[in-house]
Amino acid sequence: MSAVAAAPDFSLPSVAGHPVALADLHADGPALLLFVSEECPTCVLTLRRLAPVVAELSDAGVRVAAVFEDALEVAARVARRTGFDGVVLAEPAPYEVSRAYSLASLPTAVLVDRSGAEVGRVVGWDAAGLRTLLSVPVTDEPPVRKPGCAAKNTYDPEELRLLDSGGFDELEEMFERGWTDGLPVVPPTIERVDAMLGGRDRSVLLGEMAPSVARVTLERVAACAVLAGCRPDYFPVVVAAVEAVLEPAFNIGGQAVTTQPCGQVLVVNGPIRDAIGLNGSVGALGPGWRANMTIGRALRLVVSLTGGGFPGRLDRSTLGNPGKVAMCFAEDEDVSPWEALHVSRGFAADASVVTVVGADAPLSISDHRSTGPSELARVLGEAAAATWSPNWWPLGGVSLFVICPEHARSFAEWGWSKQRVVESLFDSVVRSAGSLRWGETTPLVNGASDDQLIRKWDSPEDIMLVVAGGEAGRYSAVFGPCLGMNTEPISKEVQWNT
Amino acid sequence: MEYVSPFDERARVAEPLAPRRADLTGATVALLDITKRRGDEFLDRVEELLEGCGASTFRVVKEIFSKPAAPEIIRQIANRGDLAVEGLAD
Repeated sequence: MSAVAAAPDFSLPSVAGHPVALADLHADGPALLLFVSEECPTCVLTLRRLAPVVAELSDAGVRVAAVFEDALEVAARVARRTGFDGVVLAEPAPYEVSRAYSLASLPTAVLVDRSGAEVGRVVGWDAAGLRTLLSVPVTDEPPVRKPGCAAKNTYDPEELRLLDSGGFDELEEMFERGWTDGLPVVPPTIERVDAMLGGRDRSVLLGEMAPSVARVTLERVAACAVLAGCRPDYFPVVVAAVEAVLEPAFNIGGQAVTTQPCGQVLVVNGPIRDAIGLNGSVGALGPGWRANMTIGRALRLVVSLTGGGFPGRLDRSTLGNPGKVAMCFAEDEDVSPWEALHVSRGFAADASVVTVVGADAPLSISDHRSTGPSELARVLGEAAAATWSPNWWPLGGVSLFVICPEHARSFAEWGWSKQRVVESLFDSVVRSAGSLRWGETTPLVNGASDDQLIRKWDSPEDIMLVVAGGEAGRYSAVFGPCLGMNTEPISKEVQWNT
Repeated sequence: MEYVSPFDERARVAEPLAPRRADLTGATVALLDITKRRGDEFLDRVEELLEGCGASTFRVVKEIFSKPAAPEIIRQIANRGDLAVEGLAD
């Protein structure tokens, strides 16, 4: 430690948004300047270890300022991550202040008295030296001494050029904050969130979401929609989907944390599909269409970020499932020979409706050769017989079948209505209890006689059909249910053109 | 740059833990069965052990494991029990 008179004056930008001069810092008492940089591990250690005594120093009349040899955004991030609550200043290249203080290495702590004179400095992490300099308890946790790194004002021009190319990256900042599902996101600036809200009251409360019992406001939903990459005209669909999952009968709290691979599937019906470009045709289950991908993703970000059901933390899903990333598609009402899903569920044909289903990953079902409706229905049903578990009968939950246009057209040409297909699926998938009594099976199977017939579904109401997919190819799919959640599909009308 | 957080940033206050008992003699212990399979067998064994320590027990059962306990269940545990043991997961 050495004492040097007359600390060089400066005025530097602060994260508070206004410049701060040395004279401001020692106007009412001593000031402690911590010269640091992001790349230096000893600087990070010093900030982390001094963070707990900043309040105590402040109470003693000492203002503590970290002076970063970094861009302001970097300084703000490091301060936040280390819990440093003092003044945060930034001095990017060419580091004139650092040079004026003759800094050779970082961190360097400089104590300036009320008159502006330097009264002491400590170089590197030196617990005893800092305790003496500051007269506050500084942790004795090892290491008690640790050398720092060269100050950037000592770097040669080539080193500085390389460092400058690694400046603040807004997309990396989103990862730092944890505002992601693992993919890059669109930063939710105030301007973007305002555009997403489109003049709606940001404080409107849609409900509270388990597991974190978070208040789900329109503003937070808009932030998630921006993060997901939604356009503002998608927002009414996202809001309707969030309203749907917040219904207690959907049990999002259970779905968000279970070890099951439970995702949320969104089916959209009505005129908003075409208005915003939601795909129900070729490749409907993704990827490739912005509306499909980002609306489904926005709902999942509300569940995993706002609601707290984040994978590996409170979401304990053993394997996960692509439906936990994004799963949203339109029913192709123009191609379907049948009544649309939302009409079957009691809505007007010209209403725009989101239906949310808690479901496992989709299982593809190929059939290019069936020659009659019973045969095709049996193929679809027997595929679904393996969902959840091949010997878990009845399922006790809803299965969502996505019927491709070629299969739907065949059923229609054979004269079968949607209800007839549902009833055939229900009736044709049946086994004797004796054949199911292996591995883990249901109490119903265990209690039945060997030749008692057990169906895969409790009732035809547990079979939901929608039509989607490309015009060519005979591939349908089934989303099996997530069981034990007591979840019901929920439909909400989209309030979009009012 | 200012951003709008997707999180509910309200500060949460952690509820303090109830005082720990040094001795189970005379304690009334609520055994919460969340209806996961074989949870009742687990609680049967816990009950035996507790009774061996001089505690008495009573059972409460959730409607389904995947949803929060009904307020009435929580009230019963709070009103009658000194301690609670939950048979969690399977």
